[in-house]
Amino acid sequence: MIGTLFGVSSLLAATSGGINWHSFFFLLFALLACGLAVAVVLADNVVRMAFYLVLSLGATAGLFFLAGAEFVGAMQLMIYVGGTLVLLIFGVMLTAQEPFVAIKTPARDKVLAGIVGGGLLAVLLQAAFTGPAWSEAPADMAERTLGQVTQPSATPLGMALVGVRVDGDVASGERSPADGNVRSGYLLPFEIVSVHLLVVLVGAAYLARTKRRKAVAIARDESTTGGVR
Amino acid sequence: MELVETDLGATLSTLLGLAWLIPLASFAAILFFGPKMGPHGRNSAWVATGAIGTSLALSLFAFGTWMVNHPPAVAHHGDHGDVHGEDHGEEHGKEHDDSHANNHSAEATNRVAARLVRFAEEQAAEGGHGDREHGDHEHDGHEHSDEGHGDEGHGDEGQHADSVEHGDTGHGEKIAYSGDWYALYRSPSLVLSIGWYIDSLTVLLFVVVTFIATCIHVYATGYMHDELHDVTDHEVTLAAGGHLHRPGRFPRFFQALSLFCFSMLGIVIAGNLAMVFIFWELVGICSWFLIGFYFERKSASTAANKAFIVNRVGDFGMLIGLMALWGALGTLHFGDTVSVDAEGHQVVEPGLFSLVRPAENGHALQVPDGMVVAAAASRVGNIASVVSPEDARAVIAEQVSGWRAMGMGNWLLVVAGLGIFCGCMGKSAQVPLHVWLPDAMEGPTPVSALVHSATMVAAGVYLTGRFYPVLTPDVLVVIAYIGAITLFIAATIALVCTDIKRVLAYSTVSQLGYMMLALGVGGWVAGLFHLVTHAFFKSLLFMCSGSVIHACHTNDMRRMGGLLKKMPYTGWTMLVGCLAIIGAGVPFVIGFSGYYSKDSILAQALLFRQINPSHAILWYAAAGGAALTAFYMFRLWFMTFIGEPRDQEVAAHVHESPSVMTTPLVVLSVMAVAAGWSLGSLGVVNLLEQARPLGTAAGMTGGGLLTAAVTVPAEAASHAEAIHVTATWTAFATAGLGVLLAAAFYVWRVVNPAVIATTLRPVYVFLENKWYFDEIYNWIFVKPAHGIAMLASANDRGIIDSILHLAAWLSRQLAAIDAWIDRFLVDGLINTLANVTWTMGLRLRHVQTGRLRQYVMFIVVGTVAIFLLASMMLSATVAIP
Amino acid sequence: MNLLSDPVGVSHYLVVGAILFTTGVVCMVVKRNALGVLMGIELVLNGANVNFVAFGSPVLRGEQASILGLDGQAMALFVILLAAAEAAVALAITLNFYNNHATVDVDRADDLKG
Repeated sequence: MIGTLFGVSSLLAATSGGINWHSFFFLLFALLACGLAVAVVLADNVVRMAFYLVLSLGATAGLFFLAGAEFVGAMQLMIYVGGTLVLLIFGVMLTAQEPFVAIKTPARDKVLAGIVGGGLLAVLLQAAFTGPAWSEAPADMAERTLGQVTQPSATPLGMALVGVRVDGDVASGERSPADGNVRSGYLLPFEIVSVHLLVVLVGAAYLARTKRRKAVAIARDESTTGGVR
Repeated sequence: MELVETDLGATLSTLLGLAWLIPLASFAAILFFGPKMGPHGRNSAWVATGAIGTSLALSLFAFGTWMVNHPPAVAHHGDHGDVHGEDHGEEHGKEHDDSHANNHSAEATNRVAARLVRFAEEQAAEGGHGDREHGDHEHDGHEHSDEGHGDEGHGDEGQHADSVEHGDTGHGEKIAYSGDWYALYRSPSLVLSIGWYIDSLTVLLFVVVTFIATCIHVYATGYMHDELHDVTDHEVTLAAGGHLHRPGRFPRFFQALSLFCFSMLGIVIAGNLAMVFIFWELVGICSWFLIGFYFERKSASTAANKAFIVNRVGDFGMLIGLMALWGALGTLHFGDTVSVDAEGHQVVEPGLFSLVRPAENGHALQVPDGMVVAAAASRVGNIASVVSPEDARAVIAEQVSGWRAMGMGNWLLVVAGLGIFCGCMGKSAQVPLHVWLPDAMEGPTPVSALVHSATMVAAGVYLTGRFYPVLTPDVLVVIAYIGAITLFIAATIALVCTDIKRVLAYSTVSQLGYMMLALGVGGWVAGLFHLVTHAFFKSLLFMCSGSVIHACHTNDMRRMGGLLKKMPYTGWTMLVGCLAIIGAGVPFVIGFSGYYSKDSILAQALLFRQINPSHAILWYAAAGGAALTAFYMFRLWFMTFIGEPRDQEVAAHVHESPSVMTTPLVVLSVMAVAAGWSLGSLGVVNLLEQARPLGTAAGMTGGGLLTAAVTVPAEAASHAEAIHVTATWTAFATAGLGVLLAAAFYVWRVVNPAVIATTLRPVYVFLENKWYFDEIYNWIFVKPAHGIAMLASANDRGIIDSILHLAAWLSRQLAAIDAWIDRFLVDGLINTLANVTWTMGLRLRHVQTGRLRQYVMFIVVGTVAIFLLASMMLSATVAIP
Repeated sequence: MNLLSDPVGVSHYLVVGAILFTTGVVCMVVKRNALGVLMGIELVLNGANVNFVAFGSPVLRGEQASILGLDGQAMALFVILLAAAEAAVALAITLNFYNNHATVDVDRADDLKG
């Protein structure tokens, strides 16, 4: 509700001047993301929660595109929306028996959570507006448009992940690799993360399946012994 | 020839050493494995008997070796040998003085094996001279009956040098082998060693001891069979009523018996006084074990303690004697010690005998240099302060003979002699210290037979005999008087005893007195002869009494009587023993063993009386003692075996003992008859004559310190016709009188003993109470000792204990305070800390609700709080615009 | 100020991130369903990602962005990866919990209660 009100008032305000489309889309995606996130909190049905979450994350991907991080946005869509959430939905489906689809939370907890959440939000917002350096947009922001400001970031990121930095100082020529103080790539973290992922997936598979196999084995034992009798 | 003799010494020492050690091995075996030897340790008897039997075989072999190599001279009677022998000796000595005296006279004393090697070398160097001598030897061997052997005491230096070469011919000279097996301790001033001193006396006693011990082992195998199963001791009444019931102690008995044999043989073979003392104490402890064999009986344990303590009194004197000898002379060896110094010369270190009776002095007794110097300590000090140390030695050496003439050191020699004799008094139960022996009869009868009659108590006599060369006339007179008093007192007590073993015990004391008397009046051979014969017949008597007790189950003669028909072996063998002890025999024809030994004692006593009229009492004591001996021995035999049974209950189940017990009786009775006989030159007397210490064959005049001057006559003189005949008839008459009196009292019943007892009531009571010795000792020594002990105990309890208790109480209080501090301060601190931690934990655990959502809430709240705090602090310190 | 005409700055993104973060936290606190809690975690991570991207965005920060260069985007990528891993493990745990307790109510998972 708050998000809706916020959006309407903004639209009304925008009519007075020329519409900055960048800002417009930002506002659109921001409202979507925040509103759907709030919807996740408010929803009781776990299936709906999952659905709202997908949308919220998708909207966040839009925000990433607007910030010029189109590769991260793509990854957000592919991994989060396409992978993680599919996983979550599998979980929902596996556990979605009638009593658990909607578990009621006591109102007292909700009120408490609201208070605490409000406090946290206040602190975070205060922090967001305190720092002078990023509270204002750059001076040339008005001239720039989404298309011309940046070049695609997929290639430099890919290069960085295999250990070569093409952005920053080296690209601008202010510093050469001979200076010895250039930024390093992400090869090592990339490898660590990949091994980490592998371990996690193997562990997850192991955790998730042991119990069931035993239960099945026991059930089979019982059936065979019963047949013999 | 001499080399053969060297080998002989080694052979004898090996044989006797083995015979000595085998019982020790048996002791060790039974000690460790006794209970495992068959049921109830039955086989331990075989082990012990086998061991002592082997010792006997070895001893007999050694005896045979000795007899083959040193055949003894034929006994001589009369005085014709004296003059002849003296002349011959001097002639003979002069022959060799020319060639040898310079070399030999200074050091020649006993026949020490190593010295013979030296002779062999010299003789080889002198060629034909040695051969001529060899001819002499054989010549002497045939003629020695003419020479006699009274010559050695009169000889001069040359004569002695002669003796060394002629020793093997049975010439009557002293033949002895000595040496050390092992030195326990060696310092310049003292050598303590395990060694041997072997002469014919040693060999003879080895045979006697092992023979009797073997008989007694066999006998004990039968006698002790009660110990093979559980025993109910009817003489021990428990507090709860009833009698003591205990497991049998068969192996323990034979274990102690083996140890005893080892110790006794150790005394006999010992080569020095220190070793004698060690084994002296060992036989004492064995005796203690055996007397206290039935230690549950109060009387037995008390008797064991009494024996041990009374012997300590004697040993105290013995220690004084040892100190005197060692302090003044620096050696305790009997024989000379020969060693080879760094330059290859033979060094002869004189032993006690050579020091006291040096060859230079013709083996006459003289105060040794060491004692003279010790007595003249102040003069020595004066000389040393004036002259330089090197010269002082020479000056003192010059002065010694002068000081000796002044009589210096005499008393030291007397102290040494009396001290050693003091030990012998304890062991041989001489009068002031005789009280333990009768009580020692609490032990099993085989023990009484072996330890307390035949061997251990004879050890005192043996040592006196062995030590004889060192004893001065003063000491000998003391010994003679002690012996006489002992024989008389013991004999009188034996008259009234009714306990069969006690009669024998007092008889033993009395006979030991005889031996001491004999030694004291100069009868060296007589005393030791009696020791040997007595060992046989007294062990026989004890074993017979054991057989009787075994059958009657009582010691009381008043309940016996008429046993001869039921126990023929025991009765007749005991009669043999009685006849032997009273010295029965056909005068001048033949007799039991005691006939010979007692006659020679009486003859010597008579000779002593003739030479020293003031000491006539010794002769009367000896003669009267013979009558008393005969009376009490036959009183015993008549009361036990003759007449009607006095107690039908006892007589009902009397039976002859098993053959394992009677066989030793028969064997020993044969010895009791025959031990005194001589077949040609073979006989105990001749053998002993061979062992006679150098210089003691001659008479000795001296005294003045303890008595008026006395002359100790030469023993050979007692063989004179006049004395010998008188003594023999006296012995025969007194013994006959005693036997007749006993028969009149107890067989013919001419006189009623009870009437006599009533008539002479005071005397009877006095004797029955054993001259009140125990009571007197009780009042003089035991009671004061108890008093002192009580005082000391009161001092301990009242004063020392109370101080200790106070100290203990104080410590306890301190400890209590300390404990309080520990408990309330230290522990309290720790406990409080623990409690606080525990309480905190208990409270904090409620925070752990296990609710995930709450945790998240906490995290958020915490984060917000940190943010707020940080921003507040930042705004307080850094002013942010 | 006019939201539609004014250019978008880092602060705008930060506000969005803060809202997403807060909703995520509130979601974690409120939901009793374990999957709901997981979704809250995803939201929190997403909020953080928005901030990373915003700080490293050349569009929003111009020349200042070169201080960070690609670091912001790379960090966001790693966060996405780790979120995926975390989701897999958390889902496995949830399924295990469901198998053992026959429920997905996190309030029932109080075995370690003090």
